Amino acid sequence: MKNFYMLDIDLTTATSTKVEVTHLFERYIGGSGVATALFDEIDPTIDAFAPDAPIILVTGPFSSVFPVATKTVVMYKSPLTGNLGESHAGGRLAMAMYSAGFHAIRIRGKAQFPCTIEIDDDDFKLNSASSLRGMSALAAERILRDHYKSDYKRSIVRIGPAGERLSPIACATVDSSRHFGRLGIGGVLGSKNVKAIVISGGKYWKIDDPKAFNDYYSKLYQSVVGSDLMKKYHDLGTPVNVVPLSKLNGLPTRNFSQGFFENAAGISGETFAERHLAQQTACAHCPCGCIHMATLRECFDPDQHMYKTIKVSYDHELIFAWGSNLSIGDSEEVLKLLYYVEKQGWDAISMGGTIAWACEAYHNGMLTTEHSDGLVINFGDAETFMKMLKRISTSHNEFYCDLEKGAVFCAEKYGGKNFAIAFGKNEAPGYMTGLHSYLGYATGVRHSHLDSAGYSIDQKKINSKKTDNEWTKSMFDEAVLRVMLNSLVICLFARNIYTPQIICEGLQLLGYDGFDEQRLQEAAHAIHAMKIRQKKKLGFKFSELYLPARLEKAATTCGHVTSQQFDEQVKVYEELAETDLKLLD
Amino acid sequence: MSKLLRVIAREHCIGCYSCMYACSRTWFKVSTVEKAALRIKNYAGAEGAFSIRPCYGCLDPDCARACPVGALTPRPDGGVKFEPDKCVNCHKCVEACIANAMQWDYETKMPIVCHQCGICTQFCPNQVIAMVDIDRTRKVEP
Repeated sequence: MKNFYMLDIDLTTATSTKVEVTHLFERYIGGSGVATALFDEIDPTIDAFAPDAPIILVTGPFSSVFPVATKTVVMYKSPLTGNLGESHAGGRLAMAMYSAGFHAIRIRGKAQFPCTIEIDDDDFKLNSASSLRGMSALAAERILRDHYKSDYKRSIVRIGPAGERLSPIACATVDSSRHFGRLGIGGVLGSKNVKAIVISGGKYWKIDDPKAFNDYYSKLYQSVVGSDLMKKYHDLGTPVNVVPLSKLNGLPTRNFSQGFFENAAGISGETFAERHLAQQTACAHCPCGCIHMATLRECFDPDQHMYKTIKVSYDHELIFAWGSNLSIGDSEEVLKLLYYVEKQGWDAISMGGTIAWACEAYHNGMLTTEHSDGLVINFGDAETFMKMLKRISTSHNEFYCDLEKGAVFCAEKYGGKNFAIAFGKNEAPGYMTGLHSYLGYATGVRHSHLDSAGYSIDQKKINSKKTDNEWTKSMFDEAVLRVMLNSLVICLFARNIYTPQIICEGLQLLGYDGFDEQRLQEAAHAIHAMKIRQKKKLGFKFSELYLPARLEKAATTCGHVTSQQFDEQVKVYEELAETDLKLLD
Repeated sequence: MSKLLRVIAREHCIGCYSCMYACSRTWFKVSTVEKAALRIKNYAGAEGAFSIRPCYGCLDPDCARACPVGALTPRPDGGVKFEPDKCVNCHKCVEACIANAMQWDYETKMPIVCHQCGICTQFCPNQVIAMVDIDRTRKVEP
């Protein structure tokens, strides 16, 4: 068994200690599992922005050792939901944490001044960073890369102005274009006066049995680059789904009012690739390369033929949130808005979902030009959306300040809760394929489509004889499996490569003796149950989950979904979760 | 003719670092990018603009010329031979390499010398680097 260490940071006193946490990695594998175990100690009533509320970053045993184990988990109390906050990001962070010698970093307390956290091997420093105040997430990275010289590869995590304003939908940006996107980690970092974390180091693990290690590594590498298992992700990427989903009535359009978008071709994966794709890039140690970087060349002074070129990454969720769901069918308009969102550092799904709510609230008369200070808010009006974003970023008035607090907050204040499309207060992701997509968002431990892939189950349901209850059981099993993958912090795009058997083989190479598929399965159930228990401690109740009423009216890939069906399946899911909870006794 | 490491399609690089991992794994038996004898550089805000710095196996290597104690000597097929016993940890070889291709081992305080073995090319998913036949008698490469 290798040794695992945590850097435990107290911002209030600007000190840190190195703690051995090997026992946690032995029991809970890493990533999501270890973060959950560390998070278990918090006072459930703590305010998300309280100094004592922890931020816990964890990688896994495969990080920087085997390919495509590229992610890092961050856990915190979500200021958006008031419940468990967990986000995952790629980039170089997992590699840099490993190189610094820390598989976990816990940050508590509050810095007395805006600061950056600098970690280089065992050296920890808190540096005053007043000059970075209000700086965009993109500019901050350029400056920090110049300022912090390191002998080693670095990773830079930072917040944009949205996080500094404590927006509960602010993200943290990792390296050039990856994000801890959902549930408001940006605001939590802002509340601690942390603008950025810069991390690097030169530590490594020795390979105990080079022959076995290299054989295993080559097998994994070949299945990534030499088979079709990950092809779609580096080909057109997730936007390959835009047009097919629309044809199946599964692409959320105009605030989830329908699943067909008449201009899907204008924002399809093919269109983005042909018009904008500069190239695909990769997270550190992933030979797949699924990051799609778009460029947009714009003339900013026609009289003098002055041009600028912006560069921004895109994927399905961003295209849905700023394209179809706002009725924008022009890829250029989508990119311009995304670039602004990227600079401010909002979670793109939540900000887009909140603007979609605003469009509908305006149509229904709940919002007027008095709120918007003269702007008429219509679906499809990208120019007005840009003006709105600028007003939000300058705290133009109370209404614009509220817009960066999320759709549910706005709906509770201004009305329209039936069309604030959120589950567990988290704005919904980009699939309306049927009952199980909604059920997945609602019951998922992160309220993410990635928790249990309900959208994928909906598509399998077509022409199937299985009952809803049976499909809910399948979804639950998938949720448990994914908790385990998220504990290894393998990119979920590689889920078909890392089968349970392959995972056990890898763990054994790293000294996890006797780790067989049964033990892996047991660990997965235990971690999933711990997360549910934690969510309940923080106030989560299955009985409070609801289907936003407007969704009953919209046809999905699997037809209409009723609240009754939704409530019934939430109960089925709850029973399955309760059975697992007994394992913890 | 000798086979030497070359960048043949810089623009295809996705920045995955698989080459650097392969080099460290093979020659040092460790999991890291920091023991590799080549470097993939990336730039802030411009993900996608990678620069690849492999050892070019120079005819008259600047690194060897800079070494004050003869720890680095040119090999007939290109590249240099390194004798660690002679190394005085002065870092001059790394400074002399204009391409920043020669890497420094911060642990041993010695250069990391490329063996021109080509293992890195076997782990490049997009054939960015390759072992290429180089005519050593020509002064200007094609």
